[in-house]
Amino acid sequence: MNLYWIQSGGCGGDTMSFLNVEAPNLLGLFAELNLELLWHPSLSTLSPKQRLTLTDDLLAGTRPLDILVVEGAILRGPASTGMYDTYQGKPKKDLIAKLAHQARYVVALGTCAAYGGLGVDAYVQATGLQFLRQNPGGLLGSEFRSRSGLPVINLAGCPCHPDVLAGTLTALIADIALPLDNFHRPLAWYGMLVHQGCTRNEYHEYRIEEEDFGQKGCLFFHKGCHGPLVGGPCNKLLWNRRSSKTRAGVPCFGCTNPDFPMDYPFFETRHIENIPITLPNGINRAHYLVYKTMAAAAAPDRLKRRETEI
Amino acid sequence: MSKRLECAIPLNRVEGDLELKVAVENGRVVDSWSSGTMFRGFERIMVGRGALDGLVITPRICGICSMTHLTAAVNALDCIAGIVPPANAIRLRNVALMVETIQSDIRQSLLMYLVDFANPIFADHAWYEQAVARYQAMQGSRCIGAIKETKRLLEIVALIGGQWPHTSFMVPGGVVYAPPINDLQKSLQLLKGFKRWYEQTVLGCSLARWQAITSVAELDEWLNEQETHRSSDVGFLLSAGRAIGLDRLGIGHAHFLSYGAFNIPEGSLVVGSTGQLVASGFAVGQEVGSFDQRHIAEQVAYSWYADQTPGGLHPMEGVTTPVASGAEGNKYSWVKAPRYAGQAAETGPLAERVVARDPLFLDLLQCDQGASSLTRQLARLIRATHLFAAAEQWLNEMIAHQAMPYYLPVPPLLNGEGVGLTQAARGALGHWVKIREGRITHYQIITPTAWNGSPRDEQGVRGAWEQALIGTPLADPDDPVLAGMVVRSFDPCLVCSVHVIGGGRRRLMA
Repeated sequence: MNLYWIQSGGCGGDTMSFLNVEAPNLLGLFAELNLELLWHPSLSTLSPKQRLTLTDDLLAGTRPLDILVVEGAILRGPASTGMYDTYQGKPKKDLIAKLAHQARYVVALGTCAAYGGLGVDAYVQATGLQFLRQNPGGLLGSEFRSRSGLPVINLAGCPCHPDVLAGTLTALIADIALPLDNFHRPLAWYGMLVHQGCTRNEYHEYRIEEEDFGQKGCLFFHKGCHGPLVGGPCNKLLWNRRSSKTRAGVPCFGCTNPDFPMDYPFFETRHIENIPITLPNGINRAHYLVYKTMAAAAAPDRLKRRETEI
Repeated sequence: MSKRLECAIPLNRVEGDLELKVAVENGRVVDSWSSGTMFRGFERIMVGRGALDGLVITPRICGICSMTHLTAAVNALDCIAGIVPPANAIRLRNVALMVETIQSDIRQSLLMYLVDFANPIFADHAWYEQAVARYQAMQGSRCIGAIKETKRLLEIVALIGGQWPHTSFMVPGGVVYAPPINDLQKSLQLLKGFKRWYEQTVLGCSLARWQAITSVAELDEWLNEQETHRSSDVGFLLSAGRAIGLDRLGIGHAHFLSYGAFNIPEGSLVVGSTGQLVASGFAVGQEVGSFDQRHIAEQVAYSWYADQTPGGLHPMEGVTTPVASGAEGNKYSWVKAPRYAGQAAETGPLAERVVARDPLFLDLLQCDQGASSLTRQLARLIRATHLFAAAEQWLNEMIAHQAMPYYLPVPPLLNGEGVGLTQAARGALGHWVKIREGRITHYQIITPTAWNGSPRDEQGVRGAWEQALIGTPLADPDDPVLAGMVVRSFDPCLVCSVHVIGGGRRRLMA
């Protein structure tokens, strides 16, 4: 198979993240999958003219396109013209839409490409490929299906974990089904919570909360951690083979969520009567209140004294 | 006779894409216009958000130097809080930033720069086969090595801050958590392992041997000394770069700007001038003067923003009001035109060397009659030699003083103005922030690529790489290899260049 990678309104962070893939490395992965990289903006050496010819061939269908990876939000501004991001003087959004219709599979890499991410405002008018934040539609419309019959596969995250892209490419090439959730994220990686595997779980369980930085306790109750609220494999796969933000004391900012970045401030938890406004998925507020009150009462001294390592 | 030809060159292998328009006469570039053609509007996104939100949003401006934006953002907030973070916090921040800078330099040099020497137009050169074997995209042995080793090096950032890219472990008052001592020791091992690879492969000699070089004559001596030097990446860059004339191309304005970086904490044995390991300064040619951020102003005469006060605005007063894109008069870029005391300047590793009055690099400027693309790229490839010792020292100091604080509590930031400056991999980066009643009311960012990839200013003076392109041979507009190498020697990062962030795409036709 072949792969064409296009960047739009993004930071390139998903590419940088993918360079860290363990498979055993990026080049090894492409060789192993027998995957031909037709074009990548940072890695390819095609001359500008060769790239244009390639792109024209893909659009004309004279050369088949297997996998289209889109990195970055689709910019539709100003005033829906798309001129904030252009290729050959024409809106990039139109090129991406045309390529998507030629591709066997379309992968939205990162939260910006999937849901719009940063820049979803009236001005820049960023959108994801098939969603605008939580709402189906986006650039391509909710009915869009690539040639394989699949919708856009959303690999959320800011950035996306490199193993998630590697695993997705591997499954597509092996023709293994990838069940998706409501926001079209593969359940294999997004059907679990960021919280699972966090080394601060013990503190979370007994409601040992931190009100300021620098401690070992849980960051969910005061420091705005989204770990128990959002799906993602951060604490299962770990980052750069080593750790995760929550393990290192940085609250999870919920970057795999369609509404990232949320419009309320980071680093603080919004409360009603001392209980977070947003509770872990499926939990009843009254039950949660009782559970956490009892848990706090049952907390062992070793946790209260922050003796347990994380 | 002298037929003038204008052509547009979209340039890849930069962070984001970039479009250049050049005018060519007799096969050489006689004029150039650099166009950043994407507008992402980050600064507008910031207004109204929580005081600390810059720590989460601004790293996401750039995937390759997100730690640098985090550093600038936290420096601005420390400034508003009026606090100097504890020594260990400064050390930890410095080590993380150094790691990011080193990985960026190596990835850019090996994956995005040296790869051009494997272009078939150089097939007649004796080193061509070696270039293909080593640097060919997605295949070259050195590309594989660079990917493997930088990936390993970045594990240090994960140990310190949880992940790379896009962590937010720096907060006003210090860092979010004191890493366990064994993680610091592991970081030290990872750093030393990387350094060994760097010495063997990139330098072909020990750090000490490299650091003994203080002039061009000694550099040539080093090159002739032994095969490991010649076959190192530095050796290859020098020999092949000279063979294709890179030491005579890319001469720019010869104005160099460094904001300085890596504050030296109290009690540290690391030595540096201006209280920092990397000094701040502004140099005109070889004349180095002090730097004061009050002399910065941004102009928009040729940028797609509403016109403003002549002379431009200081970023604390700057505004970002885009006008619809297209061909509005003279405007041709989403990048603003920052100027220091009214002058265009280049920034990056070479500027750091010049401001530090590094004798080798001052001699290179002398010999090449200016800042050549080869010298600029050499400064990038060897920058790590100036960082390893301090990174090791700071890790050791943290290990020795692990019980000392990493964070000083800071009350909520309600009101104030702060400036956060640092040196990113690509050069001078600044954030200018105002907070009122706990909310951001003003956020302006000037990125290194805004300096290097600046369009013309009110006086019509070209930006740094626009100027550097003048005189570059351009035989084939469809495959402008040398023009690309001139611009890439600045390590363009178009994803964050547009002041307001924007990166590069596209075009502008003759």
